[in-house]
Amino acid sequence: MTTETTREITYLEAVREALVQEMRRDKEVFLLGEDIGAYGGAFGVSKGMLEEFGPERIRETPISEAGIAGAATGAALMGMRPVMEIMFMDFLTISMNQLVNQAAKMRFMFGGKCSIPMVIRAPSGSGTGAAAQHSQSLEAWFVNVPGIKVVAPSTPYDAKGLLISAIRDNNPVLFMEHKLLYRMKGPVPEESYSISLQSAEVKRQGRDLTIVAYSIMVPRALEAAEKLAAEGIEVEVVDPRCLKPLDTETIIRSVSKTGRVLIAHEAPVTGGFGGELAAVIAGSEAFDYLDAPIRRLAGRDVPIPYNRNLERAAVPQVEDIVAAARALAQEGK
Amino acid sequence: MATEVIMPKVDMVMETGTLLEWLKKEGEHVNKGEPLFVINTDKAAIEVESTAEGILSGVKAKPNDVIPVSEVIAYILVAGEALPGKTAPQPAAAIAAPAAVQAPVLVEAALVSTETVLSSKVRATPVARRMAEKMQVDLTQLTGRGPRGRIQKADVLACQKLPAEPVSIHAPADVYAAPVSVPTPAFVHTIPAIAPIPAPAGQQPAIIPLPDARRKQVVPVTGPRKIIAERMSYSASTAPHITISLRVDMTEANRLRERLLEPLKAQTGQRLSYTAILARAVATVLPRHPYLNASLCGGDIILWEDIHLGIATSVEENLIVPVIREAQSRNLGQIVTALADLTDRARSRRLKPAEMMGSTFTISNLGMFGVESFTAIINPPESAILAVGKMVDTPVKTADGFEFLPMIQLTVSADHRVIDGAGVARFLADLKSTLENPYLLI
Repeated sequence: MTTETTREITYLEAVREALVQEMRRDKEVFLLGEDIGAYGGAFGVSKGMLEEFGPERIRETPISEAGIAGAATGAALMGMRPVMEIMFMDFLTISMNQLVNQAAKMRFMFGGKCSIPMVIRAPSGSGTGAAAQHSQSLEAWFVNVPGIKVVAPSTPYDAKGLLISAIRDNNPVLFMEHKLLYRMKGPVPEESYSISLQSAEVKRQGRDLTIVAYSIMVPRALEAAEKLAAEGIEVEVVDPRCLKPLDTETIIRSVSKTGRVLIAHEAPVTGGFGGELAAVIAGSEAFDYLDAPIRRLAGRDVPIPYNRNLERAAVPQVEDIVAAARALAQEGK
Repeated sequence: MATEVIMPKVDMVMETGTLLEWLKKEGEHVNKGEPLFVINTDKAAIEVESTAEGILSGVKAKPNDVIPVSEVIAYILVAGEALPGKTAPQPAAAIAAPAAVQAPVLVEAALVSTETVLSSKVRATPVARRMAEKMQVDLTQLTGRGPRGRIQKADVLACQKLPAEPVSIHAPADVYAAPVSVPTPAFVHTIPAIAPIPAPAGQQPAIIPLPDARRKQVVPVTGPRKIIAERMSYSASTAPHITISLRVDMTEANRLRERLLEPLKAQTGQRLSYTAILARAVATVLPRHPYLNASLCGGDIILWEDIHLGIATSVEENLIVPVIREAQSRNLGQIVTALADLTDRARSRRLKPAEMMGSTFTISNLGMFGVESFTAIINPPESAILAVGKMVDTPVKTADGFEFLPMIQLTVSADHRVIDGAGVARFLADLKSTLENPYLLI
């Protein structure tokens, strides 16, 4: 990925670059969402895009998430490639009927005569002091709906490549952008490139323990791994990047190698995607290599608190990952 | 504070003990010093006394559980005390029901509270089980270092004493073809607790299919049986045995016994047995034949000054060998007393492990079963063992015909690395002349 054109940009800029490049490439691609035009979106992702693409392709909508999702589904049905932005993932709840009962189903219910090539971009997660209705991570709802793909990139490079793949995919794709990742910088090539959706990546090699983490938990797991390396514990960090379809092979290979796995996500532990990952691992050939129980480190089963200390305590932080990974790595040694 | 009842460490090398039985039931009152439970160590069954007075509670172990030393197996509670982790019984508390949101769990709790009952099933991780199966390691014999004794990969590897290099379980052929290192016995003053069974280098244990027959019972090889199995295999496969026999006329020994029976009974309260006479004779003769009272240790043969005489004794299904210490300096009466005490306590399983260790020569007598002669396997790290048969009236040619003489057959098995046939024969001849003229024992 290091080419002459590679430079350091933020995750937010990487998302914007993917959108701009795809819109320049394909006139069917357009954006719709609340305040995405002159204001540039709640987090500034589409800043400057109105000037280049005009109000026809950067479409501002009323405050109606159901309307946005319905319009996007209809446009996709008619051959457009809409990218809808939901200001906070929490408000996907309002668009659920359009997404779950319409967008996800049509291709199947009409026997493949139509497809719904749309992307649902949604800022997710806590850490900004935005309280319980603006901080959720609702990926587990969507992975349970056949017909929708779910992507949760953790780096600027992955964000750009995966968003381009999501736009070119002929299925509804939920594209989760963690709010705290927007400001993180990383190397991204200028030119357009795509990353296959079903491709997990080993973000760090290690022999003692695998941490499967996605979205904001990846940089936290990497920081934890760095600290544990100083203690002689070598952690391997695997980022599935795309939760559905899931690249199980990379995960199973890593766990088979290390024999121990910690699954980290921000969403509440109960019914969270970690349970699915645990079941995939336990049911695979990696089972025979497990030398400790599969452990999950996830958000507490509480609405995200407004108080900053409580907000921090509600989801796994670097020190929590360090402690959980250390305990797991040392078990029985 | 509840008093913990733990698996005691009754000798230096003990790592686990098997619970044989509880002498008190859960909920029963027990006094301090009262026998509480019986354990089987590698060497003997031992009664363990209660260290406190109170109610036996929280019993976690059941008979035949193999328990690591120091592990808590129950608690003794006095009034008002509760088991650890539980609150003491208190009046029905008027604590408000918790709010709808339950205390969330960040990391899944490592301990599952419902699993308080100690299961006899082996706790092992999948990879440990898989490796144990391939390496033919018996998981029930391992003590895991994981939480609550869980056996993990490291425990299986440690048990195999494989090279420190992490073993790739993807290439089992490389692992199992590796020669098992044959340990050099480092016998000093005590017999090693467990002499590993050495397999011939580079050779895998043969897999012999089991017969197609109905099973009556499956008896795990544990405790004393395991020790016997390991030590006898070790002896039989490392020490080249030579066996030499000689018949001894016991006419004079019988006369001696008859003459001393009553006085010794008055003196010791015990009947003078043939085993005691043999023990006294061996203890007298053996100092003149030091290579039969010796141990091969690495490149040296250690000749022992003391004669610690082991007396092979059958207790229920198991062979145990109580030891008469410094037998060379005990007279017949003292040997009678020591022997009676040891065999009596051996049969009631009250011998201390130290009393069954460190013999330098062993006598095994099967005469009481009618056996006329047999050969024994050397009890390592000794260099010889004496097998004694039944006394048989045997016709012996005399000047004017023949007469019947009470003869016994003595058979010595000796380690040919330490001593040769002639040396063994000289010892037997010496023993024979002593027994045939037992007044030399005075």
